This record gives sequence, structure tokens and C-alpha cells, in this order.
Amino acid sequence: MRERKKSSAVEVSSVKKKKEKKTKDNNEPREQKEKEESQSIMKQQKNTTSRSKKEKQRKATEDYQSLRESELSGDEVHGTDHDVDNADDHHEEDQTDGSEGHRGVEESDSSEDEVAPRNTIGDVPLEWYKDEKHIGYDISGKKITKKERQDKLASFLANVDDSKSWRKIYDEYNDEEVELTKEEIRLVQRLLKGKAPHTDFDQYADYVDWFKYDDALHPLSNAPEPKRRFIPSKWESKKVVQYVRAIRKGLIKFDEPKEEEPKFYLLWGDDSSAAEKANHLAYIPAPKPKLPGHEESYNPSLEYIPTQEELNSYQLMYEEDRPKFIPRRFTSLRSVPAYENAVKDSFERCMDLYLCPRVRKKRVNIDPETLKPKLPSRKDLKPYPVACYLEYKGHKGAVVSISTEASGQWFASGSTDGTVRIWEVESGRCLRVLEIGEAIQYVAWNPLPELPVLAVSAGQDVLILNTGLGNEEEQRRVKDLLHVETPTAPDDNMASIVSWLQHDKLDGIRLRHFKVAFSPLSIFSCIFVLVLDLGLVEDHLLKNLLLALMFTLDGVFGRMASQGRLPLHVFHPTRSIFFVSTKKNIRVYDLLKQRLIKKLETGLKEVSSIAIHPAGDNLIVGSREGKLCWFDMDLSSKPYRVLKCHPKDITNVAFHRSYPLFASCSDDCTAYVFHGMVYSDLNQNPLIVPLEILRGHTSSNGRGVMDCKFHPRQPWLFTAGADSVIRLYCH
Amino acid sequence: MPKHYRPAGKKKEGNAAKYITRSQALKQLQVNTKLFRKLCIYKGVFPREPKKKFKGNHQTYYHLKDVSFIRHDPILEDLRAKSAYRKKIIKAKAKRNKELADILKNRQPEIKLDRLVQERYPHFIDALRDLDDPLTLVHLFAALPASDRLKIEVKRVHNCRKLSHEWQAYISRTHKLRKVFISVKGVYYQAEVEGQKITWLTPHGMQQVLPDDDVVYDVLLSFLEFYETLLAFVNFKLYHSINVKYPPILDPQLEASAAELYALARYFDANSRPSEKVEATQEEESELRLAQLQHQLPSNEPGALMQLVKDAADENEEDEDTKECKNLFKNMRFFLSREVPRESMLFVIPAFGGTVSWEGEGAPFSETDQSITHQIVDRPTQGHVYLSREYVQPQWVYDCVNTRIILPTDAYMVGRVPPPHLSPFVDNEEEGYVPDYAETIKRLKSAAKNEILPMPGMGKEDLDDPTKFVG
Repeated sequence: MRERKKSSAVEVSSVKKKKEKKTKDNNEPREQKEKEESQSIMKQQKNTTSRSKKEKQRKATEDYQSLRESELSGDEVHGTDHDVDNADDHHEEDQTDGSEGHRGVEESDSSEDEVAPRNTIGDVPLEWYKDEKHIGYDISGKKITKKERQDKLASFLANVDDSKSWRKIYDEYNDEEVELTKEEIRLVQRLLKGKAPHTDFDQYADYVDWFKYDDALHPLSNAPEPKRRFIPSKWESKKVVQYVRAIRKGLIKFDEPKEEEPKFYLLWGDDSSAAEKANHLAYIPAPKPKLPGHEESYNPSLEYIPTQEELNSYQLMYEEDRPKFIPRRFTSLRSVPAYENAVKDSFERCMDLYLCPRVRKKRVNIDPETLKPKLPSRKDLKPYPVACYLEYKGHKGAVVSISTEASGQWFASGSTDGTVRIWEVESGRCLRVLEIGEAIQYVAWNPLPELPVLAVSAGQDVLILNTGLGNEEEQRRVKDLLHVETPTAPDDNMASIVSWLQHDKLDGIRLRHFKVAFSPLSIFSCIFVLVLDLGLVEDHLLKNLLLALMFTLDGVFGRMASQGRLPLHVFHPTRSIFFVSTKKNIRVYDLLKQRLIKKLETGLKEVSSIAIHPAGDNLIVGSREGKLCWFDMDLSSKPYRVLKCHPKDITNVAFHRSYPLFASCSDDCTAYVFHGMVYSDLNQNPLIVPLEILRGHTSSNGRGVMDCKFHPRQPWLFTAGADSVIRLYCH
Repeated sequence: MPKHYRPAGKKKEGNAAKYITRSQALKQLQVNTKLFRKLCIYKGVFPREPKKKFKGNHQTYYHLKDVSFIRHDPILEDLRAKSAYRKKIIKAKAKRNKELADILKNRQPEIKLDRLVQERYPHFIDALRDLDDPLTLVHLFAALPASDRLKIEVKRVHNCRKLSHEWQAYISRTHKLRKVFISVKGVYYQAEVEGQKITWLTPHGMQQVLPDDDVVYDVLLSFLEFYETLLAFVNFKLYHSINVKYPPILDPQLEASAAELYALARYFDANSRPSEKVEATQEEESELRLAQLQHQLPSNEPGALMQLVKDAADENEEDEDTKECKNLFKNMRFFLSREVPRESMLFVIPAFGGTVSWEGEGAPFSETDQSITHQIVDRPTQGHVYLSREYVQPQWVYDCVNTRIILPTDAYMVGRVPPPHLSPFVDNEEEGYVPDYAETIKRLKSAAKNEILPMPGMGKEDLDDPTKFVG
């Protein structure tokens, strides 16, 4: 409605403009003028109002036309109330926007022969021409220049003078003043009053009833409901049949309720059937989160709770360095609150799971257990000495040395109390006691069983004694042997070193050393036992051999003697090779060629004992620092294995003659038994397995076990203790 | 010519050929980051670390095979279809076509993850090995409040609750729980299933906080979706192994009174009877087979037959640990007071062979029952005291479980500050520090076994391990 009003106002202005124009050409008769005027107004409307407005107008005009027609028809028959109301509505409308409506009606047929407005710019905002000198273009395309502006005072004065100025309106579009005629003013006034603009329009015309009452009383029929309304429709039933058939045929499908198939099933029914190898990359499982420690407990021990000072020191730390979790203590379970970071922690874990690059780091994480060589179990390596079977008591001082007879029936022991005792192994009976008088350093049996002779080193001397064992013939031979050696020196050179004396009391030979200053020459005792063994067969060769040896070794021993140490030595069991230890190294000599073959570097601080494997290629060396070195002669000059087992000095080491056993004894009162298997296959390294720790000896004067020897036939071990006891360990 | 020049058309070599960056992967797969994230989570694809980071250190690298593995997976197409379908619904809603929107909603395609589960865990044992995180997350969501804003649906929370209860019921029923630890973060449980140690954390039964910033719930929910599926299948397998139908049908009344665990236990009881029958028939069968075997065996070897029978018997035997756990609380009846964390207790006590009841509807026996041996109380003072039973704090149960002996209750009496609760996951020797209470427990333990602790420094140990000298 508002829109319409607005448009009408615009029209009014344009009407006034038109008026002015009309006044300019006054020569035309008034009536004609009027007609023209209305036409031109219509024209104006067309220009000024928007197209939508026109549309509405047209509608309105149609309404009015129809109304007009009804008026013209002249039927003054009053219809129902309803109709009257309708009519009233029309009238009201008329009152609101009647003016333009009427014009429209009048103008509709005369729009063709109408004079166009002066300006032809069309329905464009006039602002576009605000700054131009012209207001637009006339019909021939020429510019219409703007009129000169009157200054305000002049126009005011002109208005004051002009009595008609009140009916003059400035038409901006055409840039001219329009004077409204009387009719137009009347029209405006009527509009302002809300009446129809034309006087000849009857607002309250009578209602025209359009219904043709042929023979009806009322416009509505009151006929009864027809029957067809109550009969089921044939068409419908046909359609139903059609649908039924379509459904039956399956042409039409319904939304079936979803079948609730079980969501979960036995996914891993048979593990063996699972796809063996997927062709994608190996799955690296995420590391598991760290398991909580004591400090995360709701009630940890008090020592986990940080003190106030510690808490303060946390504040001083950098934020990254601050501990993420500060232990807290709650005295009861009910007071534990919800953990505020539960969701955050989970989220962080999830982020780690899908955003952290996973790499299989090849960390050298060796379990020390796996580094141990796979050793055969000790059970498989039986027999070996396990437990103490016998104790041989009788000595009054520390037992320094023991030696077993080749047959294994007897053994001899030498003690610091100056006695040598000969024992029967199995019974533990002391067969003989030989009083030497000096502290014994070493005892050794003749390795040949047919000559039961014992060599003893005591003080500066070496004694070769008849043990009185064996049958009569053997005894005779022994006696012969011991008597053959006359007190005169067999050779000049030999005589200069040793003197051979008959020891009457003990029925043996005493060898006294003159030249050599050092006392414990167990080496020579051994050498001479060898001499005794072999001397019967090849006297000359051996003597030469010995001489050569002594000269060769003279320097070595001299040096060692000056250091006040016991030189150690061992013969190769089958070849003419001789091993001598210096303080740290082992020298290997070939006796036939009389020169040094090899030097074994032990890497030990001080060698204390040495033993050779019966096969001759392996050597064990015990040291003062409790280490045991195994040398494989074929392998290298460095130890094949170093075993650190004893906390104190190793006093002696020993190989078994037939079993793959070796032992070491030490001042810590223990003896260790090892399995030391040497294979004939050169590619296979010797196998060393620790087997047993033999205890039982007690310490005296800081010395423990002084000597250990294996039984020649059985896997038994003799140990001589500083506590004057000899023990036999059996399997 | 520079050394690294590669003629055009020649294939790349080395790391550049094997790895691609994240943005390259996105481009290759034609997905956005959100979808890519989801795919990675579902498929278990994680970035890798190439030896040479050819595009710089700040990039994330994926293995090319991993990416093509995603590309060829039907789940990618499914997810795309789903998002397209979601757009349809949105469109229908925007056009106020409610009818269409409803229809579309009802027909929404479901995404099934079972194939992915199978692919990621080809063997059941693999799934068990990786079960720590799923259990923790599912237990967490079971305790979270539902939230429309964060898209945590009520349905999912309920599902999580259900799954966690099913899991706990199985563990409790088969006595596979080994360790329990109450920490500030929640309760840690450790169970041993098929030789796999599975540890999970359940939050304390309080109102949980949902932080808004620094948590992207989409990530959590994607993980949860996969984990829910995984756990359901694992539960199915486990239930199948003890001849119980899955999913279990529970007594609605008990379920309503928040005693699902007890309801599940009852369900097991009801279902185990037929399974026993099955076992019986199996035994008969095996006996029959044995009889047949006997004919084949030479008659003078009765020992062989005995061995066979023994083997068959051994298979049914539970391992030592399970037996020990089963009999810890045997013949003990517990009653829980209101303030005690009921869910945890209902899980732990039956897992170690005890009988438990609580205050509330559906409880198996009431407080006045004279056969109750222990009442678990967590309040400053106890008003009415039955002389026939002992009143202990909840920590006593957990400590008993961890030490596997019935501890003296004096220290855990009502109103006292209980002794420190120690973590059973710590190897004290390795840590190098033994708390006092651990020593006390050790002594009690040895006393319970009638053992005398070996005196230190007897020197027996070097005999046990003589090989240590070697080398």
C-alpha cells in the first residue's frame, strides 16, 4: 500500500509539471487540452514509475474495467451480502489508489498518439545528470541544456509577486516549472481526501448478481450425495491389483527391516588358516607405556613425597626440566580425586601412536646370560672329584709337595717338618716315614713303575731314595742302581757342579750342589730322576744332553736366582722340548737343537706354577694373582683362555694323565677342578668347563692348599694343605 | 655433470624412492588431512624414519608401501562414500526435506572394521599383545560423560562400559588377574592371558574432566572406534574359548542397578553348566580313544598308557599361577560398604576366589549375614561392629592380591592410615632401593611359606654359577 501511495505522489508532481507545459501553449481549446493532459499524465506515469508498479496498475485497471462494465450493464439487482461486501472492498481500494487507476483506464487506449516527454533519458536516476550541463536528450538526440538557476532571492521574490505560484511545481525531469490546472488541483484534493479522483465514479454502486438462477432458489445445490461416492472405485481396485501383481513379481520392493546379522564372530577361529605372510611392511609394535612405580601410588612411602624445599626448587627449574609427576599422598582411598589429566594423557598416547615415527633400533642390548658359552652340563662331564673321601694325617708341618707313584698305589708327601711320608692311597696308611732333617721342598716319584725311586729336594740337596716298595727283584735292581753311582764324579764337568754321595742312613744317593748358589733346585731333582730312568739305557747321550741343557739354562737360572725366585720348568711328555718360566713369560727350548723355540706371553704379574697336558700341546700356568692361563701351543703365544677364579695366589696346577681334567689349588684354601678337553681335531678349540670347587682345608700362616696332584689312574685329586693334612677327593 | 644428476624418465633411487612426505601422501591419496588421519589410525600406519631425510628434517615421512597399502584398501572408498552420503543428508535437511533426510539417515552405510582387525592382527596372540592401549582407552571412555558438543555419544559410552565389563568378567571368571595397583591416575590392572601380560588403567570412579583445549577428540574417537571393534572380537574369542555365548544377555534389573559385573558372573554361572556337560562328553571320548590305543600298544607297556592319561589330564590343569590366584580368597566372604569403589572390588575379589556382596539392590547377601568374614570399609569410624568379621580398608585387598598372601589386618584397620601401597610392577633389586614395607612383606611372605631366608654371604651362589669365571 505504502508503495502505491508513494507512486501516486510522484504522479501528482508529474501532473503538475504537465500543467505548466500546457499553460505554455494556450491556443488549444480547453476540453482538448484536458484530454491531452490526462494522456500526457499517463505518459509521465509510465516514465516515472517502475515496471512493477505498472504491473500492479494494470491489474488495478483491469479490476476497474470489469467494475465499469458491471456499472455499464446497468443491472441494479442486489445480490447476496457477500457480493455487496466484495463491492465494498472494491470501493475502498478505489479510495486508496483510485487516481492512478482511473487515469490508467482512461489512458489505456490513447497511449499511442501521445506526445512523448521532452527528455528521453528514460527511467534513470537524475543524479547522473546532476553535474552535467544538460538534463538529457530530446527526441531528436539533441542535448537539452539546463535552465539557468535563479538565485534564491529572485525566486522568492518571483513567488511573492506571482499569485499563482502556489500551484506551480518544478519538474526536475524535464527541468521546467509546471502550473496545475483547476481540474488537476481538484483531482489532487480528492485524492488527498481519499476519494476516487474522478467525480463521475460511483463508489457505492449497487451489487450485480452474476448467478444465473434458472430455476434454483439458491446459488448452492442441495441435491443428495450421489451413489458413486459410496461405491468403491473400479479404477482404484484395478490399480491395487496391478500393485499386488507387481509386488508378487518382485517389481516393487519395500524397505525391508534390516537383518540384524551378528556383528561379531569368531575372527580368529583357526589360527593356522590365517594369512601367513602379508606383502606389506613389517609391523613395528608401539612401545608399551611405562609401568607405574612406587611414586605413582596413591599412598606412597613417605620418602617419595618431595619436601617443600624440593617443591620450591622445582619452581626454579626450566619448565622442561621440571618433573612431570609429583607424588602425592592420600591417607585413604576415598579421598583420591579424579585424575585431571586422564583424557590428556590418553590423547598424548594416541598422538604418539599415530604420529611418532617408529624405527626398529638395533640396540646392542645383550643379556649377559646369553653371552655365556653353551657349556655342557656338569653331569655329562663326570667323573671328576667331588667330595673329600680320605684325609691323611701325620705330618707336623705344612705339607709342601706330594707325588703319586706311577701305579697309583702309593704316594709320597714332603713337609716342612723335614719328613717324607709314603702313604698307601686306598687305605690311608702311612707306610714309611723318611726323616730328612731339612724342610722338604719337593718330592717326585720315578715315573717308571718298575723302579720305585723317590727324589726329594731338601735344603741344598737332592736325595734319591729307595722307597723299599716292590717285589724282591725290583728291590735288587733299585739297590743296584743306587749303588752303581759311585761317590766319584763321572765327569769333570759334572763334578764341578754336583757331588754324588751315598746316603747311607736312608739307603739312597745325595746330590750336593756346589756351584749353584740357589737352594731350591727342584728342576735338578727332576732332571736327575730322568737321568736315573734313562741312564741305564743310553748313558753317554744323556750326559751330553744334560750338559748342554745346563749350560743353556745357566744364564736363565742365574738371572732368576738373583731375583730370589723359584724357576719353574716342565718337560714335554713326548718330545724333547723343555718349558721354563721366567717371571712373566714362558720360554720353550728345544733340547736337541739347544735353542729357544718360542716365548709364551702370559700377561700375568708373576707365574707361580705350570703344568703340561699329557698330549703336550697345551699348557696351563697359574699365577700369583689367582689367574689361570691356558695356552694352546698350536694357536698362538697368547693365552687361549684366562680363568680368574681364585682370590689368592695359585700355588699349583695339575693335569690328569688320562682324564680330561685339570685342577688348580690356591692359598684361599680351595682347589678348583676343571674339565679341559683337548680334541685331536685341530680345528676344534679346547673345551674348558669349571666343574667343582673343593673345600675343606683350613688356612695356616696365610697359606692354604700347597700342592695338588691327580691320581694317575682314577679321577681323584690329592691336595696338600698348609694345615698339615692331605686330602683325597673322589668322584 | 653433478654427481646426483638423474636423467629424466629414470626412476628415483634410494630413500627418495622409498619414502614420501605427508603432504605428498595426501596428494597421492587425494584425501584431506582429517581423512588421512583416520585412515592412518584404522590401518595402523605410522610415519617412518628414513636414513636420509631428503626433504628436510621438519617433514614427516611415510613409507611408500604404507601409502599404497592405504590406497588399495576398500576402507578409503567406504569413507569417501560415507562423507558423500553425509552431504546428502545435510542437503536434504537444508531443503527442509525432513522425510528424505530421515530415510537417508536410516539407510546410512555402516563402516565395518573387522577386516582391518583381521589384517592388523592375523593371529589372536598379536591382538592380545597390543591390547594395553585399547583397554585403557575403552575404560577411560566408559568413565567419561557423554557430550554432544564433543561428539561423545551416549551410545558409545554405553558400548565402552559394556565392553570393559565383559572383559573384566572374563578375567575375573578365569582368574587371570595378576596384579593391581592404585595410583593417583587410576587403578592399574595386570592380567595374563595366553601368556601375554596385559596391563591397563581404569580411571577412578569420579566425574571426569573433559579438557577443551589441547585435546582433539576426533583423534580419540577414531582410535576408540577401532579399539571397540578389536575388543569386541577379542571378547568374542575369549568367551568362545570358555564356551559362553557372546554377546552375553544380562539380567536387566542388575544392569540397571549398575552391577553389570555381577550380572555377567551370574550369566557365566548359568552358561557354564552345559559346557561342563560338553567337557564330560569330551572326556568320555578321550577315554574311548585311549581304550582303542591300548589295543594298539604292546601289552607289556602299561607305563606308556599311564603317560597318555596323564598328558590328557595335564592339559585340563590350570597353570600354577592361576591356581594360586584362584585360592587366595577362597572361603572368604566380603561385604563392601557404600563408600568403597564397588566396581573395582567386584572385579578383583572374585578374580581371586572370594565371594563378595554390597549394599544395594540385587546384592547376593546382606550385611547382616553372619558368614561374612571381611567387611571392607573406607570411613573414619565404623558404627556398628560385628565381632565375627574383620573390618579392613580397601587397600588390604589390593596388597593381599599383590603379595599373594593374606596379610595381617592390624595395619589396615578402620581409621588408621594404611601402610604405603607399593607398586607391584617395580623390580626392587633392579631399582636399587627397597622400601621398608617391601621388606616387611617379603618377611611375611617367607613366613607364610615356612621358609627360612638364606643368610647372606653363605657362598652357595658361586657354586650355582661357576661359569662366571670364564672370560
